[in-house]
Amino acid sequence: MSSSERADLGRALCVITGASRGFGRTTAIEMSRLVKPGSVLVLVARSADDLRSLQAELAESEAGKAGLLVKCVVADLAQMEGPESVVSASKEVFSEDLDHIILVNNAASLGDVSRFAKSFTNMAEVDSYLSFNVSSSLCLTASILQAFPQRPGLRRTVINVTSLCALKPFCSWVLYCTGKAAREMMFRVLAEEEPDLRVLNYSPGPLDTDMQLVARSRTGDPSLRKTFSDMFAEGRLLTCEASCVKLMKLLLEDTYTSGAHVDVFDL
Amino acid sequence: MSDIHSKNPRTLGRGICIITGASKGFGHALAHEVSHLLKAGSILLLVARSQSLLQELKQELQSFTEEQQLVVRCIAVDLSTREGAHETVMVAKQEAVNEMDHVLLINNAGSLGDISQFASFTDLDKVNSYLSLNVSSALVLTAGMLQAFPCRPDLRWSIVNVSSVFALQALPSWVLYCTAKAARKMMFNVLAEEEPNVKVLSYSPGPMDTEMQKDIQRLTGTKNNLFPCQESAAKLMKLLLDNEFPSGTHVDFFTV
Repeated sequence: MSSSERADLGRALCVITGASRGFGRTTAIEMSRLVKPGSVLVLVARSADDLRSLQAELAESEAGKAGLLVKCVVADLAQMEGPESVVSASKEVFSEDLDHIILVNNAASLGDVSRFAKSFTNMAEVDSYLSFNVSSSLCLTASILQAFPQRPGLRRTVINVTSLCALKPFCSWVLYCTGKAAREMMFRVLAEEEPDLRVLNYSPGPLDTDMQLVARSRTGDPSLRKTFSDMFAEGRLLTCEASCVKLMKLLLEDTYTSGAHVDVFDL
Repeated sequence: MSDIHSKNPRTLGRGICIITGASKGFGHALAHEVSHLLKAGSILLLVARSQSLLQELKQELQSFTEEQQLVVRCIAVDLSTREGAHETVMVAKQEAVNEMDHVLLINNAGSLGDISQFASFTDLDKVNSYLSLNVSSALVLTAGMLQAFPCRPDLRWSIVNVSSVFALQALPSWVLYCTAKAARKMMFNVLAEEEPNVKVLSYSPGPMDTEMQKDIQRLTGTKNNLFPCQESAAKLMKLLLDNEFPSGTHVDFFTV
């Protein structure tokens, strides 16, 4: 460990969206190990059951026993009340002795990857997709930044879970690529605007999750579908844990350029 | 820029050309430029919210378009509604009775949005409304047109995405505009990958003397060195006439 790498993420308020499964769930677990006692995790997802089971698991963990508070917020982020409920829950659990605010914008959906761009003639479908994958992360981030403004002694870190799809177009993935490209630019603007804020566009790599299952079974473009299913069949998918460990390392070292796109394979 | 009065003028063929946001600014200039380059029997569809401004534009084009046997139709719709895009596609289908050899769709309609600190964007409805006009409507309209005029060997298909340097460059306080332009750029890149028989061009028109620029000046105090819309529109026409650009490319006014 280099001398400049911290041992922990401080006494933190950590908000994680899409925390019920996949990468979000793993992030919650990894974060819980790196925040100091007295920290709070705010876990956001639509599934109350999945959140409660994660909350129970964390309560039983070492961190839980040492005093980690875990709050569940069951919310649909694509509705106005979604981001609002996350912010009010966060304000409820905030205390003045917390020294780090961490927001992990992880919640996302693939959209219908079985279809091609010219089939998207339904405005409601496209609007709904952008509402969840783009607008909600802007509104949630803006609300959290407003609720917890910059002050001495408080670090603020915003993470956007991004993808290679933010940078490269993929056939039959128009919604996902568009949403990821939009988010990446959004967080780059944030980084430019707020030099005191730490903004990380983290691309976790091809993960072994429910999302990858959909990708490898439903992708409309045959060669892309084969690429995904080969990855799975050949054991080339990453576990969420392996990718998350790299994310944690980035956060502890804290040397990334704010706004930069960092890929798991860069490390 | 090719001389339109030369002996063998280059043209954009006998086509159906759809221009959104045609009532003002760049769209308005494009209508003028395109009308000189479409052959007899072509159709020009002008789309915007203001029927009166569209009719004024049609009048401006009148003497020339009559001479050229160009049909000009005005469609007053709000593209951020689901009906907007669908109505536009329906009118296009109705008008295109003759054999066309070119479909040219220019996705120009766009708005600046609030120029404001990132932390101010807490209203989900406002952000959704912005993305609906600036991102969703372009996809839905393009998809509708592609379905209405399916690719065939003797049909040239061109799609223009009116883009911006801010599709590539992040600018403080401009989160809505940058986000939407970056989204559109990717969206049209995916389309270019999927549709080898369609030529897709993202064109960044440069800073022009439009109402949008007036708003920018008023809201930010920035006074840019502005170019006439006509000059940028003419450059886009050259790109389309030359037709050498690789599909999916992003071209800036300053490099043409």
